[in-house]
Amino acid sequence: MTRPEDPAARRRRGTVSERLLRGGTEPDPRFTLANERTFLAWIRTSLAFLAGGIAVEAFTGDVFDLVVRKLLAVVLLLLGMLLSAGSAVRWLNVERSMRHGAPLPLPLIAPLVAVGGAIASGVLVAVVLTR
Amino acid sequence: MRAAPASVPCPHEDPGLQPERTALAWGRTMMTLCTAAAVYLRWLPTHGVFVLCLLAVALCLAGGIYATQRRRYRRAATGIAGERLTPDAVAVGLTAGACVVLGALGLVTILVF
Repeated sequence: MTRPEDPAARRRRGTVSERLLRGGTEPDPRFTLANERTFLAWIRTSLAFLAGGIAVEAFTGDVFDLVVRKLLAVVLLLLGMLLSAGSAVRWLNVERSMRHGAPLPLPLIAPLVAVGGAIASGVLVAVVLTR
Repeated sequence: MRAAPASVPCPHEDPGLQPERTALAWGRTMMTLCTAAAVYLRWLPTHGVFVLCLLAVALCLAGGIYATQRRRYRRAATGIAGERLTPDAVAVGLTAGACVVLGALGLVTILVF
């Protein structure tokens, strides 16, 4: 479904996309849209972390003391920021791989969510057990 | 997005409805942003008016998505029909950037205000 790129098509592409995505051939539009939807799913995950950090800070005032609350909120917010940036990087890497017919890169943000979630849960379990 | 009247032909012939699914994914992201903005409001009594910055970033991004939905759908549908679609690097960059800013502002709110 890919075709070699002609100069007229290259002129049609936006300058930002042109600078970021050099060489290779334009992939199937369906793959490009699928990549965009995957990016959006990651963004929604990161927004859940960002909103979760705020919720922990705002709603657990009478459950945890100040230090634990702040620590949990900071961990969740940092995780959300890393995920947002990582999802854009992954979108770009996948788009580049598709242009060159290369295998898709491994998602580094997937273990990030797993490890980050495990750390946050671990902190919580430790706090609850030692109260 | 308003449903096309029956007399208007569908702009693409993709049985997988990729442009529709992508537009809906943007719509879901927009609604998640509005939810996050509503959660930020909970901070207003304890952290003061600085929280309104967070609210503004989230709502601006949501509004931007809403305003460009039609254009985005048309662009994707035309791309599918013509078998050629330029990846929307600007939309991806702006969305991810705004989310990073939201996280940074949240950290500032917790640690400073």
